[in-house]
Amino acid sequence: MRPLDARLLRHARAARRWVALATALQVAGAGLLVVQAFLLAGALAAVVTTGTLPPGLPADAAALAAVVAARAGLSAAQERFAHRAATDVVTELRGAVLDHLAEAGPAAVAGRGPELTTLVARGLDALDAYLVRYLPQLLATAVVTPALLAVVVTQDLLSAVLMAVTLPLVPLLMALVGWTTQALARRRIARMQQLGAQVLDLVAGLPTLRALGRDRGQAARVRAVGDAYRRSTSAVLRQAFLSGLVLELFTTLAVALVAVGIGLRLVGGDLDLRTGLTVLVLAPEVYLPLRMVGQHFHASSDGLAAAAQALDVLDRPAGRREGRAAPRVAAVRWEGVDVVHPGRDVAAPAGLTAEVGVGRVTALVGASGAGKSSAVDVLLGLRAPDAGRVVLVDVTGAAHDLADVDRRAWQRQVAWVPQRPVVVPGTLADNVRVVVPDATDAELQRAAAPAGLDAVLADVPGGWHTPLGSGGLGLSAGQRQRLALARAFVRVGRGAHLVVLDEPTAHLDAATEQVLLDAVVRLRDAGCGVLLVAHRPTLVAVADDVVEVSSAGVAA
Amino acid sequence: MSRHPLLRVVAALGLSPRRVALAVLTGAAALGSAVALIGVSAWLVARASQRPPVLDLSLAVVAVRALGLGRGTFRYLERLASHDVALRGLVTLRERCYSALAAAPPDRVARMTRGELLTRFGDDVDAVGDVLVRGLLPFAVAAVVGVGAVAGTALVLPVTGAVLAAALLLAGVLAPWLSARSARRALTGCEAARAAVAAESVALLEGMAELEVAGAVPARRTRLAGHERALRAGRDAAARPAALAAAVQVLATGAAVLAALLLGAAATAAGTLGEVWLPVVVLLPLAAAEAVTGLPAAAAELVRGTDAARRLVAVLDGPGAPARGTARPDENGPWALAADGVCAGWPGRPAALTGVDLCLPPGTVVAVTGASGSGKSTLLLTLAGLLAPRRGRVTLDGTDLADLDPAALRRAVHLTAEDAHVFGTTVAENLRVAAGAVTDDVLVDALQTAGLGPWLASLPAGLETVLAPGGTDLSGGERRRLLVARALLTGARTLLVDEPTEHLDPATADALVRDLVAACRRTGRSLVVVTHRLTGLDDVDEVLEVVGGRLVAQPSSAYVTAASTSIAAPSARSLSASGTGSASSASRPGTRLTS
Repeated sequence: MRPLDARLLRHARAARRWVALATALQVAGAGLLVVQAFLLAGALAAVVTTGTLPPGLPADAAALAAVVAARAGLSAAQERFAHRAATDVVTELRGAVLDHLAEAGPAAVAGRGPELTTLVARGLDALDAYLVRYLPQLLATAVVTPALLAVVVTQDLLSAVLMAVTLPLVPLLMALVGWTTQALARRRIARMQQLGAQVLDLVAGLPTLRALGRDRGQAARVRAVGDAYRRSTSAVLRQAFLSGLVLELFTTLAVALVAVGIGLRLVGGDLDLRTGLTVLVLAPEVYLPLRMVGQHFHASSDGLAAAAQALDVLDRPAGRREGRAAPRVAAVRWEGVDVVHPGRDVAAPAGLTAEVGVGRVTALVGASGAGKSSAVDVLLGLRAPDAGRVVLVDVTGAAHDLADVDRRAWQRQVAWVPQRPVVVPGTLADNVRVVVPDATDAELQRAAAPAGLDAVLADVPGGWHTPLGSGGLGLSAGQRQRLALARAFVRVGRGAHLVVLDEPTAHLDAATEQVLLDAVVRLRDAGCGVLLVAHRPTLVAVADDVVEVSSAGVAA
Repeated sequence: MSRHPLLRVVAALGLSPRRVALAVLTGAAALGSAVALIGVSAWLVARASQRPPVLDLSLAVVAVRALGLGRGTFRYLERLASHDVALRGLVTLRERCYSALAAAPPDRVARMTRGELLTRFGDDVDAVGDVLVRGLLPFAVAAVVGVGAVAGTALVLPVTGAVLAAALLLAGVLAPWLSARSARRALTGCEAARAAVAAESVALLEGMAELEVAGAVPARRTRLAGHERALRAGRDAAARPAALAAAVQVLATGAAVLAALLLGAAATAAGTLGEVWLPVVVLLPLAAAEAVTGLPAAAAELVRGTDAARRLVAVLDGPGAPARGTARPDENGPWALAADGVCAGWPGRPAALTGVDLCLPPGTVVAVTGASGSGKSTLLLTLAGLLAPRRGRVTLDGTDLADLDPAALRRAVHLTAEDAHVFGTTVAENLRVAAGAVTDDVLVDALQTAGLGPWLASLPAGLETVLAPGGTDLSGGERRRLLVARALLTGARTLLVDEPTEHLDPATADALVRDLVAACRRTGRSLVVVTHRLTGLDDVDEVLEVVGGRLVAQPSSAYVTAASTSIAAPSARSLSASGTGSASSASRPGTRLTS
């Protein structure tokens, strides 16, 4: 994994800003360190060589105090702005991912739902450790270390050479250690993970053991397996800490060698005390960024992985075009529509040709997996068909290819109840208003009865004000469905005139189903087109047209 | 318990003082080497500038080289020693938590979800390890090294020792305190905003298509942005003490260096301090700063670990089990389970079911249906004696379950929970956990009765095939059937089975229930099976439904055809059911809903 993903800088303005700011802070810090070293060494050398108070001491001390104050300010700024930068970068990346996925449609999320959910919900927060701790130190190794080395060159060439040789040697040796012990490490880690899983397996089985009356005496097994896990973890750590050993050993030994070298050359008179002390003070600082990078490396790798995942999403083409304004639609037609799903060599639907007209109820039937939901996705403009097209027929009878029409303008005419309607954090009323934010209470009330939501309202403790979602009430599948139906009715009240219901009665009892069927008829009579994805015969019975969807194999 | 949860949990680690001392001493040796390296180097350089005979320097040269090696070596040893201490402590902690749960009242374990159990024993226990290694030990090491550095400096020039002590206290106590404040603010002040951001992001992602079609994405994004602003403000507020802590550390060390320079120079001029010692007293504070730089992070680690510790204390010091019953059910049965006016529910929550009257004569098969969350599983736990009834009593052959010896009760009445665990071991071990030492033939027999004969034949190593922890390599149907085989092997005459048919396809779900019923019929066991579906119940004696917190007879077709039940009407609805239900009689004993 690269320590700094260039794509991160490309996609997140906040990341660019932070890299610039952190670099500036590091450069300023390095400059202050150099000044501090010179001031200290100068003052010390003057006192040591003369044995008296030098006249410049008060001035040096004042300058030193100023340097310390400035360094404190820099440290505070670093700490203060690092967290802000991390929040901004995460916000920006999350927003970009959400925008991108909205643009790309549901096909982009298909099959990766849980992974992407984890990413936007919590995963990106792992970038914190990377941005706050690791990145500044990484920049320091790139900026501060060479700058300090350059200063040492001007003071004492021999020490500088020693540093220049040992610096690259350290990561090289660390890599060598890691590389030679890799195979053994992999085996040991596998063993450790296996034993760790065994411990948790015993724990997860506690309720079961309890139900079997066999929980007593198991604590000894927890200890036995736990001890085995500890031993294998220790074996892994002994090896994992080796690269840390190399890092600490060589960086400290290098400082010691520099110190000894300075001492011996001072005796020989090849060096003056002031220079010697300057290099002595600077030597540990040269190696510090490298040591810090080593220390924070592991904490940062999760963050980099999360960022890479987000950036991979952004790198995929969204592939949407904007088109002409949509006409007022009188009918919509599939013409020879195929949808091919990645990894499956079937088209579902295959060669679908059918029409949904206003003032009619059309039922879409077919075996599961035949492509009913994909047909709906294509109709709604959520995905492009792999063959064929969707045609919008306007009130004058003119036909428009959906691919040339502005998707949003078309979608404004549609109310859609998907199979798994979304519940957003907020009250029940907020959840109906999701689709029409400025809907009045009266509109909500009007939509509730035909959707069967009034029964739900009577059941929940706070009526319209009942909080839903995380921390609030969990809705059953049937209640969710009625919520989504209410959304659809609000949309219809605001001018949507094609209603798409995906298996609307799947989770409803017989009485509520009848309420819905009545509503479907009422919608049709009011001039709406209704498309039903139907399993139940009762739904098919209310349809004016029945369309059979089928799949077909395609050449791989 | 008024003690701080961290102290309580650390006490539960059962740490060996010898090992802790080893970890602290190796850590102090590592850090001390780094500090001493600078101190000795400073003396070496200063002395060398006086051009003494090289022999005068040889001891210092050797010391510097040794210290250069010492830091890395001791640091490695320290990391091994500290992790060893922590890992040993965690083994003890896990064992103690396990014992505490095993001794707790049955409902405490039943109430914990698998996720909770795994978090307690996994992440939370690991967090305590982090507290020890990254939180507590660094403070101990810093204390030792700090005292050493102050003593060393004081030996050279007492007043600079005092200055260093003050600086280390500021940097090692005040700064970590500020950092802990910051960590606490980040935890408490930002958690709500963080959760809101996560919830809104997840809703946006999961409802993307629906929101997109409804044109609602921009409005949701605006809301998300609002939560993000709140989070940013919260984190900004939290970062303020941390920034102050960083500044305090730099200022404290800088002030110590400056003071040492002025005091040391004055002492040198006055002749009370040898020239070569001046760089030592001035540069030592600079090096000693390293002892305390890590402490703000260590303090934050302590704060972060406190929540985990609190949760573990709740496990360790939860209520112990009530006095165990000693009565034993009659070995010859009849094993009739009955509920009498039972009100079932979790402590601290509203009652799930009230007025449950139920009598299960031996050999009765009953299905319980009802909406999710209606209390079906609560009912089973209560019937199994794993959850004490709020009111009324559950009896086995007339003896209250609470008076029975728990082990004997488990042998008589067995509950297979919805999420009953399949262990990551062999098929045989997974079955023997219920049966003890029985022959393979018995196991094979049970598997066949549960409908797993063909599956067993397909396994590469037969009974010795190792399954994945949690049974993740089994299909949903196979997993359930394995659990049924296990239940049959318990020898319990009454089985209570919570079937999660919601996640199975309909055909599999129906076959499962049908085979389970058949297996109980064949072996003459009583069965209460909870199911979400009304199909596959052709051969049960009674279908009961949980409606509005009551248990009522279902007038289903299955009930009518298999009607062998007499009902004495606890509610209006079952009264009407009894009209058809009690008309016929059958050879089988029936369920009774007694009033």
